[in-house]
Amino acid sequence: MRERGHDTIDHTADMGIRGWGAGIPEAFEEAARAMFELAAELDGLAADREVSVSCEGTDAEELLVEFLNTLLTRADLEDLVFVRVSIDRLGKDGGSWRLGARVMGAPRERAAGRLLTEVKAATYYGASVRMSGEGLWEARCVVDL
Amino acid sequence: MNTVKVRKVHDYLWEIPRENGMHVPGRIYADERSMQHLMAESRSKEWDALLQVRNVACLPGIQRASLAMADIHPGYGFPIGGVGAFDVETGVVTIAGVGFDINCGVRTMTVDIPLAEIKRNRERLADAIFRTVPAGLGSTGSLKLSRKEIDKVLTSGARYVLERGYGLAADLDFVEENGCVPGADPSCVSEHAKERQFKQVGTLGSGNHYLEVQYVDTIFDQHAARVFGLMENSVVVSIHTGSRALGHQIGTDYQKVLRRASEKYRIPILEAELVGAPITSPEGKQYIAAVKAGINCAFANRQVIGELVRRAFKETFGIDDTMIRTLYEVGHNNLKFERHTVDGKDRELLVHRKGATRAFGPGRPEVPEPYRSVGHPVLVGGTMGTSSFILVGTERGMEETFGSAVHGAGRLKSRKQAMREYRGERIIGDLGSAGIVVRVHSTRGAAEEAPGAYKDVEQVVSIMEGAGVSRRVVRLKPIVCVKG
Repeated sequence: MRERGHDTIDHTADMGIRGWGAGIPEAFEEAARAMFELAAELDGLAADREVSVSCEGTDAEELLVEFLNTLLTRADLEDLVFVRVSIDRLGKDGGSWRLGARVMGAPRERAAGRLLTEVKAATYYGASVRMSGEGLWEARCVVDL
Repeated sequence: MNTVKVRKVHDYLWEIPRENGMHVPGRIYADERSMQHLMAESRSKEWDALLQVRNVACLPGIQRASLAMADIHPGYGFPIGGVGAFDVETGVVTIAGVGFDINCGVRTMTVDIPLAEIKRNRERLADAIFRTVPAGLGSTGSLKLSRKEIDKVLTSGARYVLERGYGLAADLDFVEENGCVPGADPSCVSEHAKERQFKQVGTLGSGNHYLEVQYVDTIFDQHAARVFGLMENSVVVSIHTGSRALGHQIGTDYQKVLRRASEKYRIPILEAELVGAPITSPEGKQYIAAVKAGINCAFANRQVIGELVRRAFKETFGIDDTMIRTLYEVGHNNLKFERHTVDGKDRELLVHRKGATRAFGPGRPEVPEPYRSVGHPVLVGGTMGTSSFILVGTERGMEETFGSAVHGAGRLKSRKQAMREYRGERIIGDLGSAGIVVRVHSTRGAAEEAPGAYKDVEQVVSIMEGAGVSRRVVRLKPIVCVKG
């Protein structure tokens, strides 16, 4: 397994997404990228718009699902196609898990010919954040298409 | 490893007997072949539709059985094709039984133009529809609404957009609930949800949403077809879409609320998405009021698209509005308060249908008066390029499935597998050679939705007919297909 990366997992009706890396932030960044790739062809798309997001959850799984859903909401509200995300902070703070990130994207109109499938939501179905056998962190869940 | 035990009841019905933790048995409409497929999938994969049927049977207040229609496949929490009815006093409302595309459904309209004329002009018609009906990811609608107007859509549904000049008053006589459910509360819907929606009313969306021009190629039930005004070669338009971003955001917002509520009210969480709240709890009431807002939004959406379809036909054929009549509109991701007889008693229940269509048989007051002698049309979308069906419900369906039937063919292969096996351009070319004009916003989408990725819709509707739950009235074949 590469140091960090992402892929999709078969699910009959919808789609599983998975990201992995040296830490939870990398795994989350990669999972987000897997989700962005379902929505649009991203290769060669200049990401010159930046948006900040923050979210929280009671555990790492809830944080993951919240994070992905926050990205879907923001992309829609701001008419953007997100390309990549960079997590600045992620950790447990008191009873909850929190993260802050910057997301880079392009205006939807510029990505017009690249749009694919609308991701309706990230779900808790199959959601997990765990250390894999190779000592890498893995974040996964099913998204509703 | 799967531990769900299944026993055969008859050729088209299987049961998961009630055991530990289950309040009722699970019942799955399937034939031998489709049950073998479900059991194999259940043994070998992470996603297990049979286990999902079993899990739903463990929710408090569930009545009669946790049901799955013949188009069953794994969902999240509920299986797709799942039906669960709950006692309004002791039962729960669960997000898994509604999903993120609230009141996703189908409207079918009849078109009073001869089939030959439609066929001669199909390319022009396809272009006109493609231009007129916004579709695809991020598309925006022709109706721009202010925040205040969005609240009116949420409370008044199709009625509000009718006032704004979209469609004909007669349309609403043939829409479930006449296009508006009472009890929707916009204050239970987040600002984000409303903000996402104000530019999306009247858009088709993407994925499995579509718009098809079809014709009646086979009549199975002459009497019911006559009651619906359908004859051989009658032309219809079917619109498959839902509540768009508003529904997605309501789902996202309440997912978290209902996770908390499940813990608070000690509802067993057997799967992460299978969370909910007692129907009588504040959280349950708020969620239901929000879902109703989503239901109304979907009604409004299809009413606007119905009008856009009329405009596309007018542009192509110069016809009058009244030559396109709404046959029926019915949702398949829904919550409904309905009266049913359980154990000989007339009871009020909250019925969840996740990828299942209401199929009320003869005599029910919910069925529009002109159809009441046979039951309302049950609109079942097939796959792109194959066929769709119009069914009717039966008395037996009322007794067994709370008046529910299938909603489509049901996926067989994952999208990923479909993309490996099919090329969008090839699918579109093949359908073109078969006389079906396809217009898509994403060719990858065409591969994902390839006919081969779905179960055989003929088999699915035959199972329900074999079980006596619903009956085929007509089969429809596509001429033009527009996808997001």
